[in-house]
Amino acid sequence: MSALAALLALVRAKLVALATAPKRFVVMVQRAVYDVRTGNRTAWDVTKSVLMTLFGLAMVLVLLFPLFWITTASLAEGTRLFNTGGIFPDPSTYNLDAYRWVIFESDFFFVDGDWGYPQLVLGGGSGLVSFRWVGTDTGPGALFNSLYIVSVTLAAGFGMIVPAAYAFSRRQFIGRKRILYGYVLFTQIGAGLSIATLVALYSLFSTYGLTNNLFILGLFYAASAIPFNTWLLKTYMDNIPVSYEEAAMVDGASFLDTIREVILPLTKPGLAVVLIFVWLAGWNEFIIAQTLLRPENYPLSVELYNIATQGRFSTPWTQFAAFANLFALPVAIVYFAAQRSVEDGLSFGGMEG
Amino acid sequence: MASSQIGTGGGLSRLRSALPFSNRDWGLLLVAPGVLLFSSFMLYPIFYLFYISLTDATFAGSVIGGGAELIGLANYVQLIGDSQFWTSMTTTWLFVAVSLVIKVLLAVGIALLLNHVRVAGKRYMRAAVIVPLGFPGIFTITVWRGMFSDARFGVFNTILGRYNDVMSSLSAPELLLFDVPIGFLSGRWEAFFAYVTTEVWLAYPFMVIIIVSALQDVPRSLHEAAMVDGAGALERFRTVTLPAIKGPVLFASILTAATSFQQFLIPWVFNQGGPSRQNELIIVYGYREAITFNQFGLSAAILIVGIAFVGLFMYVAVRYGGLAEGVGDE
Repeated sequence: MSALAALLALVRAKLVALATAPKRFVVMVQRAVYDVRTGNRTAWDVTKSVLMTLFGLAMVLVLLFPLFWITTASLAEGTRLFNTGGIFPDPSTYNLDAYRWVIFESDFFFVDGDWGYPQLVLGGGSGLVSFRWVGTDTGPGALFNSLYIVSVTLAAGFGMIVPAAYAFSRRQFIGRKRILYGYVLFTQIGAGLSIATLVALYSLFSTYGLTNNLFILGLFYAASAIPFNTWLLKTYMDNIPVSYEEAAMVDGASFLDTIREVILPLTKPGLAVVLIFVWLAGWNEFIIAQTLLRPENYPLSVELYNIATQGRFSTPWTQFAAFANLFALPVAIVYFAAQRSVEDGLSFGGMEG
Repeated sequence: MASSQIGTGGGLSRLRSALPFSNRDWGLLLVAPGVLLFSSFMLYPIFYLFYISLTDATFAGSVIGGGAELIGLANYVQLIGDSQFWTSMTTTWLFVAVSLVIKVLLAVGIALLLNHVRVAGKRYMRAAVIVPLGFPGIFTITVWRGMFSDARFGVFNTILGRYNDVMSSLSAPELLLFDVPIGFLSGRWEAFFAYVTTEVWLAYPFMVIIIVSALQDVPRSLHEAAMVDGAGALERFRTVTLPAIKGPVLFASILTAATSFQQFLIPWVFNQGGPSRQNELIIVYGYREAITFNQFGLSAAILIVGIAFVGLFMYVAVRYGGLAEGVGDE
């Protein structure tokens, strides 16, 4: 919970900073004008700064072009986007049909977009007419599979990462160095390793009858997230002085009290980052999921891949874009809100030395 | 990592005596579940993969049902004589090398610009340029495939067409024009170029983050001192900036090279390592041998070779990158 609260606090701070940005911009311009008037800066000096800034802006726009393009594409359902000479669709044709498709026709929320329907109930206890929501005929869709996988990943991941990070940071035990060294070796290994072992995984999972099991898949993602996040959280905890715990103990706090009152509150930013990384481990992966699961259990990532490749040469771009935006945006927003902590997390260890 | 040495000496021992257990190995219990889970889902499959690579298994059923027999290193011997393996190896290394060079140059450029005193709103721009990190790979990679579309109205072909129009209206020589539409996904080197572009785009944010954090550790006074001594911008870059970012860049290079080496999604989503298997990076090659051609034994051997190289990358990173500095203290 504290990880979630920390994450929300980060999001709020980011939004406030963003909302007040225009004011700071105006102040900056005013100051520049003032400096030129009073002769503190020459006009050429200011021009150079403006040019550099414009150059930076242009660079950002070029780098983010793909994302901009796909977002405009998602607004252009039914406008024959790729048959005309333009790169971007005509803004006058923007519409939300693709999003409507995702919500009410695709398997995003419910299979075939069947949300169920309201049913009129006459009579009843109070004798009034009331509505009752009747469940869908087809069942919950990919979103629920994704959420289920991610909850397992988060529960298992946090249950194993937090105690282990504490032990690595504060305790001495047999094999500590060796295990830690092993973890470090695996910290930066990407998704490629899971794909590399896929052949073995598939054989093993089939042998033990574990294919098509969302729970096991969630555990698998947790396992893949353990080394990096344990190491990350350990380095966070290393930065909390032991004297805090001593002080608490002198005041009569029990061992569990020190964990609850000292360690966890001070590790909050670290927990927030671990929350994001562990979430992403379960949310984004699709090759393993596609191989091990049957279609009725596909999470969002696999559905997205299927939309992208359903026609060998013709991706339904608008629908893909809308689906992808709904799939990726919530996570991306949280990710950028916590950007500062994420950056620290990515550049931890050995680099700031 | 000096801060991690705080927890030494009297503090810890007093803490320990207050704990419910006196056994000093009590901490192992906290670590064990994670190690167990990790080993059973990640390490065990690697060993099992190695076992498969020593058999003549052809499909998943023959591995499971015991229909496969141990044939020693025959799969590895076959690999050495397989021209497809060498094509894949060369392409993979070329991919790693080319994308790494471009990545480093681009990332250093971006980091320097977004750390420059004259650029206003640096913080927002820095937040914006690392956006690619926040989106799932399957999403961004598919978007890039769309932009590299072979079609005449694909995004890049349209841009090149516009460029051609402008150039020919300036009556530029034929040499500067492009022969549109370019089949980005259907030519060998065109596809390779598309892979590299996408890989660079996916990986530069990580580099930028690391370089910026290194640049911010350089005291401003160093630059000013160099300026007073009359050093030009280039001279200052060589003597002040470069020494500060050399270590982190080297370290980040090893890590992103390891990731590039395992790149699977880009070739797979773009054209499954085509055309005609010429651009199969090593993991794609192994995956296809198993899934498409039912050669589980051979596929396992390929993937073991790939994993061995990745392991080598990681070993070098940990050994010389100072990544494990926090391990040995206390």
